[in-house]
Amino acid sequence: MSSPSGFKPVFFDRGGKRWPRARRLMVLFGLLAFLASVFFVQSLLIAPTLVLPLKLKKLKEQLRSLQKQTPAVTSAAATSDAALRSFYQSPKGARRLDALNRQLSPKPPRPPHAAREIRLGFYVGWDPASFDSLTAHADRLTHVCPEWFSLTASDGTFSGENDVALLEFMNENKQLTLLPLLSNAAGEGRVAEAVENLARATPEVQGRFVDNLKRRLGEIHAGGVLIDWQGIDPATEEELTNLLVKTADGLHDAGLQLWLQIPAGEERQVFDLTTLGDSVDFFVASLHDEASEEDTPNAIAAQNWFSSWLDAVASRGDPQQWVIGLGNYGYDWAVDSNAANRSGWQRADTISFADAMSRAAYAGEGSTESGAPEYNPSFDYTLAGVNHEVWFLDAVTFLNQARTAHAKGFNGLGISRLGTEDPQIWTALDLITPTPLSKSDLAQLSDLKTGKTITNIGEGEIVTADISPEDGRRRVELDERTSLLTTTYEKYPEYPSLYHQGAGGAHQVALTFDDGPDPTWTPKILDILRQKKVPAAFFILGQQAENYPGIVRRIVAEGHEFGSHTYTHVNLSLAGEQRTRTELNATQRLLETITGRSTTLFRPPYEADSRPSQLSEVAPLVVAQDLGYMTVMESIDPEDWERPGADVILQRVKQQRHNGSIILLHDAGGDRAQTVEALPQIIDYLRARGDQIVSLGQLLGTNRDALNPWLKAKDRSLAQVASSLGFQALHAAFGFLWAFMIVATALIVMRTLLVIVLALRQRRRSRAQIAVAGDAADPQPVSVIIAAYNEEKVIAATLRSVLDTDYAGEVEVVVINDGSKDGTGAAVRKMAEADPRLRLVEQENAGKSEALRRGVDLARHRLLVFLDADTLFQRDTLRYLVSPFADTRVGAVSGHARVGNLRSFIARCQALEYICGFNLDRRAYDAWNCITVAPGAISAVSREALQAAGGFRPETLAEDTDLTLSLHRRNYLVRYEANAIAWTEAPETIRALAKQRFRWCFGTMQCLWKHRDMLFNPKFKALGFFSLPSIWFFQIILVALTPLVDLLLLASVLLGSGRAVLPYLFTFLILDQLLAVLACVLEHEPLRRSWIMVPMRLIYRPLLSWVVWKSILSAARGVLVGWGKLERTASATVPSRA
Amino acid sequence: MKNRGDLPFQWRWCSVALVVVMLMWSPGCGRKTSANPPPHKKFDHPPKLVVPANGAYTGAYMEFGEREDNVSLEAIEEFEEQVGKHQAIVAFSSYWGEQHFPAEAARLVAAHGSIPLLFWSPWDWPYREDLVEVHGPDKYRLDNILAGQWDAYIDAWADDAKTLGTPLLVSLCNEANGYWFPWSATYYGGEKRLADSNPPRYAGPEFFKRVYRYVVDRVRARGATNVLWVLHLNNFSDPYAPWNAMEQYYPGDDYVDWLGLSVYGQLFPDDPKWEEFENMAETPYEEICKLSPTKPVMFAEWGVGEFPEKGSKADWISEGFEQMRTRFPRLHAAVYWHERWQNNKSMLYSNLKVNSSPAALEAYRRGIGTPYWLGNPVFR
Repeated sequence: MSSPSGFKPVFFDRGGKRWPRARRLMVLFGLLAFLASVFFVQSLLIAPTLVLPLKLKKLKEQLRSLQKQTPAVTSAAATSDAALRSFYQSPKGARRLDALNRQLSPKPPRPPHAAREIRLGFYVGWDPASFDSLTAHADRLTHVCPEWFSLTASDGTFSGENDVALLEFMNENKQLTLLPLLSNAAGEGRVAEAVENLARATPEVQGRFVDNLKRRLGEIHAGGVLIDWQGIDPATEEELTNLLVKTADGLHDAGLQLWLQIPAGEERQVFDLTTLGDSVDFFVASLHDEASEEDTPNAIAAQNWFSSWLDAVASRGDPQQWVIGLGNYGYDWAVDSNAANRSGWQRADTISFADAMSRAAYAGEGSTESGAPEYNPSFDYTLAGVNHEVWFLDAVTFLNQARTAHAKGFNGLGISRLGTEDPQIWTALDLITPTPLSKSDLAQLSDLKTGKTITNIGEGEIVTADISPEDGRRRVELDERTSLLTTTYEKYPEYPSLYHQGAGGAHQVALTFDDGPDPTWTPKILDILRQKKVPAAFFILGQQAENYPGIVRRIVAEGHEFGSHTYTHVNLSLAGEQRTRTELNATQRLLETITGRSTTLFRPPYEADSRPSQLSEVAPLVVAQDLGYMTVMESIDPEDWERPGADVILQRVKQQRHNGSIILLHDAGGDRAQTVEALPQIIDYLRARGDQIVSLGQLLGTNRDALNPWLKAKDRSLAQVASSLGFQALHAAFGFLWAFMIVATALIVMRTLLVIVLALRQRRRSRAQIAVAGDAADPQPVSVIIAAYNEEKVIAATLRSVLDTDYAGEVEVVVINDGSKDGTGAAVRKMAEADPRLRLVEQENAGKSEALRRGVDLARHRLLVFLDADTLFQRDTLRYLVSPFADTRVGAVSGHARVGNLRSFIARCQALEYICGFNLDRRAYDAWNCITVAPGAISAVSREALQAAGGFRPETLAEDTDLTLSLHRRNYLVRYEANAIAWTEAPETIRALAKQRFRWCFGTMQCLWKHRDMLFNPKFKALGFFSLPSIWFFQIILVALTPLVDLLLLASVLLGSGRAVLPYLFTFLILDQLLAVLACVLEHEPLRRSWIMVPMRLIYRPLLSWVVWKSILSAARGVLVGWGKLERTASATVPSRA
Repeated sequence: MKNRGDLPFQWRWCSVALVVVMLMWSPGCGRKTSANPPPHKKFDHPPKLVVPANGAYTGAYMEFGEREDNVSLEAIEEFEEQVGKHQAIVAFSSYWGEQHFPAEAARLVAAHGSIPLLFWSPWDWPYREDLVEVHGPDKYRLDNILAGQWDAYIDAWADDAKTLGTPLLVSLCNEANGYWFPWSATYYGGEKRLADSNPPRYAGPEFFKRVYRYVVDRVRARGATNVLWVLHLNNFSDPYAPWNAMEQYYPGDDYVDWLGLSVYGQLFPDDPKWEEFENMAETPYEEICKLSPTKPVMFAEWGVGEFPEKGSKADWISEGFEQMRTRFPRLHAAVYWHERWQNNKSMLYSNLKVNSSPAALEAYRRGIGTPYWLGNPVFR
């Protein structure tokens, strides 16, 4: 068979045009890439999912160091004072703190109160100011009346509070008597039926009621109960009186008192005071609410109204049995623009004295006075275009009323209520004397010191805070004519204030989601919002946005608003000013990078109650404002993060809907399945009750572009533009690699299993055939052909191993010396003289395929065996190798090459590779007749098959692969004989290995390309669909990409976001190890060989990958790569050999 | 080497590439599209309210505030939870003094799955009967209406009613055969007999009918065909005289869809006698049935106050449900008046609420619980 001349090596570019063209393109592309990457590289770091601009990187560094400084303190542990102190480190902050901390001079000890000088403090548990006032002034009180029992059911049962803090306080202050309130109030109204039905109930029911009451009063160590029942039908007067008498009797038996609240108005007629006076211990007349919330603006307790009421009581009863409740709060009436409201005024808000001061300070115009005839102060102000009228009671009205009462013989006073009072009433208490007041007395009431009470102005949950405390002043004078005091406010004290806006209409409500984005829940929520066509606002955590920028962009793309929720979900009350700033700045930069928009919306983590009571909660809001944020709180909080159940979440929204117009939900921070389940129900409910679900922009009368403005072009530096582009490219690249890794893992798993199954099958089958092969009746003659080039060192051993065989048939060995420069020829000649079976053929150097072709021509026999010059046969190798030819369909047989030298690490890696790579694969392929290469190191081919396949061709560097594939084309079987073992010498240095593998890889690529029509060709069945694609994917593509994937995995692990990545890393390693172990078991190799797998992957594989890339590059360059062991640089056109 | 019959090289590559690409994209395909809501049941024609063949709709007025139109979902749901049944009819007022159709309330009721029953009353704020006694009718007096003074209002009202789309019941100028409302026939000629009328006809009721027809015609002219007109009279005419009899008020078959009655037991604390339900309902039912042989009857208002010294409200309610179910076959709706108010002069309360006492509530729940009482309207 002569060599065809003018062959075209695969990938050879004869015209030489392909490379220059490609090179020009590559230069241009490289230049652009270089420019971009200069900017890009400086910001490239950290998480593989997001590239952060330098500014943000610095902020994150700051944040990290601050995080280490701030110890993790639970909010319960930190007191308000300590937290405040730690918050305000700056001089400005310290000044603020000083102003707030200024205390009144310490109070002198009081003498114990005179007999029957009752001081009753009305208390509520939901206002921390009430508790503060109680603790500060407990020594001035004798009785405490908390809102406690609620009688609203018609069967005589009532519910009770459980204010543990109050009970503990009362326990520590046993000189105070606890006198809880039993009322029939429900929401803003009264449940008359509850009392009327109890009054008409059977003695048994009433008896149960009294016993219940006694028991529960005993449980809380109360001294009695104050009954406050209103709205009762006067028709039930008799029954009611009997009920009260009965109750009084029952309580007295237990040593408890019954006090009765008598309403000041027509309603008092329902109580038969004469009869009740004998049973009830005290009557309480709350002489305020002359104008109540439902009325039009007027004095809350005008002096003459107050005075005439006292007269009425004094004329009918014993003043000593009465406690006169004095009001100390205010009402703020707003004009109602709704034409349907004929009164023109909305229902008034109840406000504290401090609130009134803040409003007056805010309005800034005119002065507030109190004088004849009401002696109640009032003022007007305008907020958001709406007019307001405020009437309130202060220490001066308190003193007027108290002195009037005292003069008429009433010694018992009630303070309604603790927490809303003018702080000066405690001074006023000392001035309740019969003697006229002096100027110095009045001067005591003129200082209005600021304090820590937080006042609220306006409606809505979007707040701006102002902490600039200032003291105030008023002028108190005595009206000689009436002996009553008048006031003129000269300067209003300024308290820490919260200005509210964004109340919206009665039927407007907004949805907000905190803590996101989360890849599981946020998309689901976005789907629901889109389907229901409902806008929402998302308060985003920086650390979440960093990991899931795509979801942030989706939030913006779907039209929702977004705000900042800090970076790390820190409790800002404990964090300090600097940390707060850093958190907010970092989050803002990040959101700008991701979306190109900034945000003016902010919501603090943990406490977003729109009426905060702790100053430490308000201080961070001031910082946020300085940075340009509006704080968005909430007043409808179903606490969905608690996971109480979707129906409970809906229920809570229903119950709290009246509180305000912003609903707080969470789209991250845990399992939000219940939130997702409840959301559509909440939307349906809101719509059913006539609400419109609006955006925050609509609540504020603006739009999203104002709340989330686009960054102006000039704000975006070139670096930012480049980094965001680079980020996108990198993100896309990483996204692709992730997907690739997942698919690759799946394919590897499948392939591994398949290979193992096939290998096992093949082994079982081959065992059965061994018996057959060994007893070949008529062993055919065999020609062994060896092409040698500079193999002086090893050729002798090789030949010896071949000649020393137990093959029964005739064996000849033909060695073609391909123009060796060393003593190869001499060594062979020497041996040939000794053994007639051995022949030496000399020729000019012409390349391996030429040499082999010559050898085939000169060989005499039909069965041809090929091996490399450095391969050692075993005695039985020939016998086994040739035995499959008993089947005439067999065209070639591949032997079992093993690595003989195991001295170096590289060699051992190759050994393992041979075991579980080449040989295991060949076993598997053998089962389906899809062996891709019968290796030149050890193989046998029949002459007719060789001829049919066209012999050894020079177009590729891997002529054995070429031949094998050609054999398959002609439907010859290619078998694998595992028992035909040959020991090959693996390269021991990396360099040598690289050269060898490059040759193999490039050669294989040439073959694959040459025979590319066999790929996915049904005609070639397993070859086309299994082994060839296997090579393409697992040996070329995967090997090329694996190092990138490994780098990605390593980078992820090192840089922190490794948790998601580790499973994949472990999967790959475990699979590789499993395969190695199985291969060793199958091949009867010692298992310890397999443990090299892990280091092999980390060191050896990258080398192979480099080889693959080099091959690909060479293919692209279209340059013919020569065959040889020495250094080669090929010229462009002529196949060259050294 | 290519053989005939081989797939072209490019085809094979494309199919392979396609498979690979699909594999790559599969992780992203897990996104579920959220289920679409079931399509809204739409009618080809405007839906019509079906009069139940055997059964009656139950409904209530649920204390909707001073102007009787402050309808909230919370109030409706609270009532329904108390009585244990969804209400087919929710009643509220549309006073002419408010000068607009209560669209929000009507929409809310319709969205809730109930039929609105509007008491459409030409009256000015503050809607107080004691002032009517003193001052007589106000600017919404019937002659003004007939003169066309309120045409624009009527037209706008009709347009809004039409926009609602779903059926609604309207009781125009209810209880005209009483004396306490400014549209009572008493104020418009009353008992004055019209000349040459045989059988005798009287000025008051005749004038009333003229105005009634005028208003209904106007509303219909605007296309509000979804309005069902209820001729809503008091169970006993007061003054109880022939000129004031129910039959005098019947405006004609084509102006009436439902015949309505107000049936109350003791309302005020100073009422002289506790009357049984039977006495308040039976004769009036027979009388109104005579006005038309076919039209369905409803008790557009019914209820009784809690006056335990006078009588048992629980029994009255129980008897009411029982008799409505068994003795009044043409009765196909009953709307309870659930309100508690304070009477100005005596300061005593009238408590008609279903839960004025546990016994009353229990009686109501039991009565309404039978399947005879339909909690959901049926449409055709």
